[in-house]
Parts: sequence; structure tokens; C-alpha cells
Amino acid sequence: MDRRKFLKQSSLASSLFFVPSFVKAFEEVATGSLGYKRLVIIQLSGGNDGLNTVIPFRNDLYYKERPSLSIPKNQIFKLTDDVGLHKSLFPLKRLYDNGNLSIINNVGYPNPVRSHFRSMDIWQTATDSDKYLQSGWLGRYLDNYGAHPYNAIEIDESLSLAMKGDTMNAIATQDARILHNLSKDPYFKNVNKYQNDAHLSEHNLGYLYKSMIAAESSAKYIYETSKTATSNKEYPNNAFGKQLKTMAQFINSGLKTKVFYGSLGGFDTHVNQLNKQKKLLEVYANGIEAFVQDLKENDMFKDTLILTFSEFGRRVKQNANIGTDHGTANNVFIIGDKLKKQGLYNDMASLSDLDDNGDLKFEIDFRTIYATVLNKWLEVNDEKVLNKTFNKLNFI
Amino acid sequence: MKRKHIQHLYWRIGFGILPAELERLSKKSKRQIIDDLIGTSKKMSPLKIDTKEIENLMVGTFEEVKKNIMEIQKLSRKKTIELNVAWIDRLAKPEALLREKMTLFWANHFVCEDNNFVFTQQFHNTLRTHALGNFKDFVVAISKEAAMTKYLNTKQNRKQRPNENFARELMELFTLGVGHYTEQDIKESAKAFTGYSHNMQGEFVFKKHQHDEGTKTFFGKTGHFTGDDIIDIILKNKQCARYICEKIYCYFVNDIVVESHVNGMVNVFYEDYNIEKLMRFMLLSNWFYDENNIGTKIKSPIEFLVGLKTVVPVDFKKPKQLLYIQKLLGQVLLNPPNVAGWKGGKSWIDSNTIVLRLKLPSILLNSAFISKVEKGVSIDAEFIANKKEVLRNGLGKRFKTESNWVYFNRMFKGVEISDLENHLLLCDINESTSLYLNSLKKVSKREYCIQLMSLPEYQMC
Repeated sequence: MDRRKFLKQSSLASSLFFVPSFVKAFEEVATGSLGYKRLVIIQLSGGNDGLNTVIPFRNDLYYKERPSLSIPKNQIFKLTDDVGLHKSLFPLKRLYDNGNLSIINNVGYPNPVRSHFRSMDIWQTATDSDKYLQSGWLGRYLDNYGAHPYNAIEIDESLSLAMKGDTMNAIATQDARILHNLSKDPYFKNVNKYQNDAHLSEHNLGYLYKSMIAAESSAKYIYETSKTATSNKEYPNNAFGKQLKTMAQFINSGLKTKVFYGSLGGFDTHVNQLNKQKKLLEVYANGIEAFVQDLKENDMFKDTLILTFSEFGRRVKQNANIGTDHGTANNVFIIGDKLKKQGLYNDMASLSDLDDNGDLKFEIDFRTIYATVLNKWLEVNDEKVLNKTFNKLNFI
Repeated sequence: MKRKHIQHLYWRIGFGILPAELERLSKKSKRQIIDDLIGTSKKMSPLKIDTKEIENLMVGTFEEVKKNIMEIQKLSRKKTIELNVAWIDRLAKPEALLREKMTLFWANHFVCEDNNFVFTQQFHNTLRTHALGNFKDFVVAISKEAAMTKYLNTKQNRKQRPNENFARELMELFTLGVGHYTEQDIKESAKAFTGYSHNMQGEFVFKKHQHDEGTKTFFGKTGHFTGDDIIDIILKNKQCARYICEKIYCYFVNDIVVESHVNGMVNVFYEDYNIEKLMRFMLLSNWFYDENNIGTKIKSPIEFLVGLKTVVPVDFKKPKQLLYIQKLLGQVLLNPPNVAGWKGGKSWIDSNTIVLRLKLPSILLNSAFISKVEKGVSIDAEFIANKKEVLRNGLGKRFKTESNWVYFNRMFKGVEISDLENHLLLCDINESTSLYLNSLKKVSKREYCIQLMSLPEYQMC
């Protein structure tokens, strides 16, 4: 729904009752009008080693550059004749076999930056690597197409830049009950009770009152809606599993949330990478498998698209500590029902044609993936969100 | 000087003012007060955490130091937390108030961070050194800071392979603002900053063989320019003075710029780029105290936290929790989001931060309790104590803090309870909120203080 339509609906609703129009909007937005399709973003923080995740097991260069770090052929789940997945990702192979996984190789951006903070910043703001933005791409999606904070939820205690717009912000919560409890102190309720639009038009103070009412209303909505869904689904007993369980509960309860954001950290494997990455990928894949099953059992998977990324991949050549240093291009996983292009979306990166640092030369700009998801999945004008035109890909 | 104006002044160039000091200053003239403020800020005392441990790991050849890199970074993370905590303490008890507030301002202008604490700390004190000095000296010093040559890649900027990152941000973010230079200007000025580097001690090193000595054409001038020359040329452009004045105006006066006010500032600043002189002009001007500038700014998380500590001193038993709160509020000192810094103003506020801001005073200072006892209802002391006991084991458990209400009671001893809001809030209380507040019993100064701090109005300064 566009903003104008939204405003029209909400002002109509507010004329019926004496309540501030923006409060009414929370209750009155037609449930179906935002559409049901939702996007889940999973951020792997620290820079996951893509080459040991999706492995070119017939490429001699791969084994040559990583004498003690490469994954032996017999420990790989083969997807094609020359590409396979790390064995920790076995659950993903099942998704792959069902046609629910598309792997986009060699995703990056021009003039790559090898700093975690900056590269993550670039992925979250969707900007050129020599420009700096103070709003995130999903925040700008909300600016243009959102109506309430809860239209985008981050399963965390505070918001990532990705979820902050210029005029609107998402809401962060790990536990809907705690957020609700924090916001529902009767003192605040009474302070809010008699506010009306006229008082709230004041520049900054009015904005604070509005934010407070929106927060209370969103927290209440998220808590009361999500508590109706109970799941017996077993998730791996770790923080990531817990995040996904919360997310699934939100989705299965029918929350009108278009974007969910979750993350898993620890991928900065400079030292003794093999064991660390093996465990992390296990945590990731087992969590995702439970999550997808949970959604499938509730008939929600068909409307959910899961995008997994990391701020950069790692250097092709291993370092002296049986680890890898910061690199550039990486793979992006797309998980969903009825994908247009199932399996490997494109070929793996060349390991012989590297840049001066010995890093991969990217082939697909990550923003073409964002543009595709915005345009074809969330069905909005991607240029308004990304402030630039990008080609669309064909995975959905 | 009018009390309200003094309070306004002290919120904008500090973190609020306590009753006794307000009383003392109210007998002085505006000029006297500003003179004193500037006078006490002449002195610069650096803020320093001991770095010997790290420095010991940075001795020897490049190869030797490289081996210690993980250890250096680990120690640096620890020391950065220590400096963060020490900075907050300094802000809560500053000797040079104006200098400290300006340092906080510049930290969000010349934005930088580094994973080597020795460089982080040196950069931090460079901000403090120049906070009220000459802007040109300031920019030159920043361009040669070890942390900055790393952060914006001047270190990788070599004659054969120029890196434009610093040149671009120098103009876009540090001096002129978007749209006041061309891509060609960036290319040419980047050449002038080639050869910039630093040694292990964090001192500037100019690598002559990596410097492009050729001619550069920049802003219509051609010559064998150095980095210092480029900064000189940029500052000749009046737009630079305007850009800085607008930013200072938005931060200290109002986020809606009044052209004529800024014009006055620009004329003063452009003369010799003297920051102290500019601040004096701004603080002495009548428009600084206009009604619509008072109590209309949203406090930054740091202003909010330090302001709270100024009224009721609160100690964090676990330093990490102080950083954790900064994270939740959206501003961790020494850890900016990117070189553009924090956007400020309304962008501090989202659903999570507003709820936290309203709840935090009660959580940190009062066992998470906000009194809702109505007027005319009689309660005994035990009633509130019992309520707090229950809450202390719930929400109140989250942070290990110790608040000093004895100090508060001493500082506000002479203040009537009905007058408390005039000390804690700078804007009028919203009409219906005021009605609600008046329907509640003023149980004690302490409980009323918490009620006031739990209002949206307390977020304003």
C-alpha cells in the first residue's frame, strides 16, 4: 500500500473516533493491504569464509592456496560435478534438493573495503563504497512503504543501521513480553492518554510523544498478537535458534511485519578456522532447517523469503595461523518456495583472476539482489529505496 | 542574567546546572558568565588511560610488532572501554566545561576510530587540544593523526596509487559539505595528501618518496601543493566557514537554521577561523536566548546520561553496563557508526530508544519505580519501600548501579518541591500531562524527581 492510500484510510478511521489519527492507524490498516509476502534477512557477522562454505572441490587452485585449510573432497556434500557444500550445511542440502535454495556466487561491490565496520555499513546502507549514508535500506523501505514500526522487526535489543530510515524506524525486540512490560507502565499510559493531534504537532516534543505512543502501541500489538501462536517445534538450543524461534512465532501468529532481521556472529576466523567455522555453519544450518520446517507446518513458508549475507568473504590464500584474512566477494543464500532459479544461480568466482590483494573480483553487485527482492518480492519501487537503478536478477 | 537563560546556556554548553550554582550565577551579567566559561576552558587537561602495556608490545621491527597484533587489539578493546567510562566521568565533573562539550561536538565532526588504543587516545586528545582553537590548525592536525591516516586510508595514498578517501571526506564532511567541489578537485587534492603515514608512537611521518611532487590544479589554482596548502585553499572559501557555523548552530542552538543568525556567525568565523571567538559571539548574541531555542532540542544519549548523573550521581558497578546502555540508547562514545557520525536530533528516537529513555531514570536510580500514588491518598513509608522491593527483583535487577540520593537531597535542599520542575525541565510540560501530574501526590522530592525524569519533556534541552 502506498503512503497516500494509507493516510486516506487512517484519516477516515480517525474521524470515527476521537483518537489521534496515527494511533488509529495502528488498528485500522487493512490487514491484507500490505500483502503477506515477508522478507527475512540473516546477517552472518565477521565475514564468513565463502570459499569453505560453497566449495569448488575440483579446482586445484583451491587446494593449492589452502594446503591445511581446504575441505577434503570426501567431506563435502556435492551439489554439482564441481561444487559442493561444507558438511555442516547438510540441512541446506535438503533445502537445495527440494528446490528451496538458490546460491548466488561472487556477490560484492566495486572498490571493496576490508574493514568489518565499514563493509557492514555499506551492505546495510546499500551505498557506494565511497559514500556514507545515515539511513539503512530497510529503513528507507519503511520510509516509503511502511506504516508502523512493527512493519519491520529486528530480533535484537537495539536496531541496526539497516533498519533505520530517514523518517521511520523499525522496532527491535528479542522478547515481546519484556518490550511490552517496559512500555506499559501505567504512568506512561496516563501521560499518553489525553494527547491529541493538535498537541502533538509541536516540532521535537510532539515527535517524542508520537514515538512514545507508537512504541507502546507496537509493543502491545507484537506481544498480544504473537502470544496467540504457540509452537512445539524444537529449535537448536543456542542464541541463534532462539532468535529464529521468536521470529517464527511472530510470523506464524500473522503479525503484519514485512521484514525480519536476525544475525549470527563470530565468523572472523583469522586463527584456527576449521573448527570454528564448522560449528558456526552447523548452528546456522540447523537453525534455518528448524525455522523452515516450522514455517512450512504453519503454511507460512510460501510467503517467506530468507536472504543470508555476510559483510565480505575471505582471502583465497590461507594465512599462517590456519585461518583466513578479510577478503571481498562472497556468496548469498536465498531460501524460499518456488524459486525461479534453484540451486547455483551463477558460476563460482575465478580463483586465478584475483585482484592485487589476492581477493576475488566480484561479479554481482549486492544491490542488484536488494533491488530484485524489493521489486519482485516486496513489490515496491526499488529505485525509491536504493536511490539508484539496478538490474534485476532472476532468482525469484 | 535570567535564570531560565542560564539554564538554557548550561544545557547547551554543558549538561545542566544545579540550584546553588544557578543561584550564584543569576547575580552575574551575561558577559561575566560567558567570560568565566571561556576563561575556565582555557586550560586543557588531556584525558589519559595508561597505555604502557600496549606500548611495550609495539617496540621492535615491523615483523616483531606484527606478531603482537592480536594482543594489541585485545588490549585496545579493553582500554577503549576504560576511556569511554573515564570520558563520561569527565563530562559529569568537568573543569573546563565548554572545552569538554566542544570536544564532544568535534568527536562527531572529525569522526574517527581505530583498533589501536594508543592512536585512539592520541586522536581523542587532539580533539580536546583544538576544541576552542584555530580551525585551520585543527584540520591540519587531524589530517596528520595516525588514527585518521588509517581510518580514511591516507596511509595507502601513494604517488603511483592514489587513494581519494581522505580528500573526499575532508571536503564533504570536514570542511565544505556536499556539492561544493568537483570530482576533479578530489583527484587533484588526493595527490597532495600522498606520502602521509605514521610511526609506532603515533607521530606523523611524511614519506617523501611516496609523495606526488607534481603540480596539482585545485579550485582554479595550480601549484606543487602539499596537504597543508590544500587545507589553506579550502579555508579561503567562505563556504567552509558557513558549513562549520551551520553545524555548530544546529548542535548548540536549533536544528532549524535561521539564515540571518548563521550569517552573523560566518562573518565572525571567516575572519580568522578562531573557534573560541565564534563561540563567544554565539553565546553572547540575543538570538541564542530566543524563546523558541529554549528546551527545543532532543538530548543526545550522552547528554541524557550525563545530565542524569549531574542531578543524581550514579555509579555503574560494571563498566560494561555503562557501554551497554550507550549501545541501547544508540550512541557509544569512541564507536561511531561511520565517518558521517551520528545524525542526531529526531534520529536518536525510535520505538526502542524512547521506551528505554523514559524508563531508564527509574531503573538506574529508583529500583524501576515510578510513583502513581494519587493526591489525597495516604500512604506510609512502607508502601513505597515494598513496591520497590518487588521491582528491584524484576526490572531493577538488570543494572548494577548505586545512586547517591543523599547528594541530590543536599543539592536540592533549598528548592521547594513545587519548584523542582523548573530545575529539571527546560520546556513547558504538555498541558494534559501536566493535568495528570497534578493529580498525583508529591510523595517526596525524590519520587517527584523520578516522575519528572520519566516524561518526554525530560528528553528536551
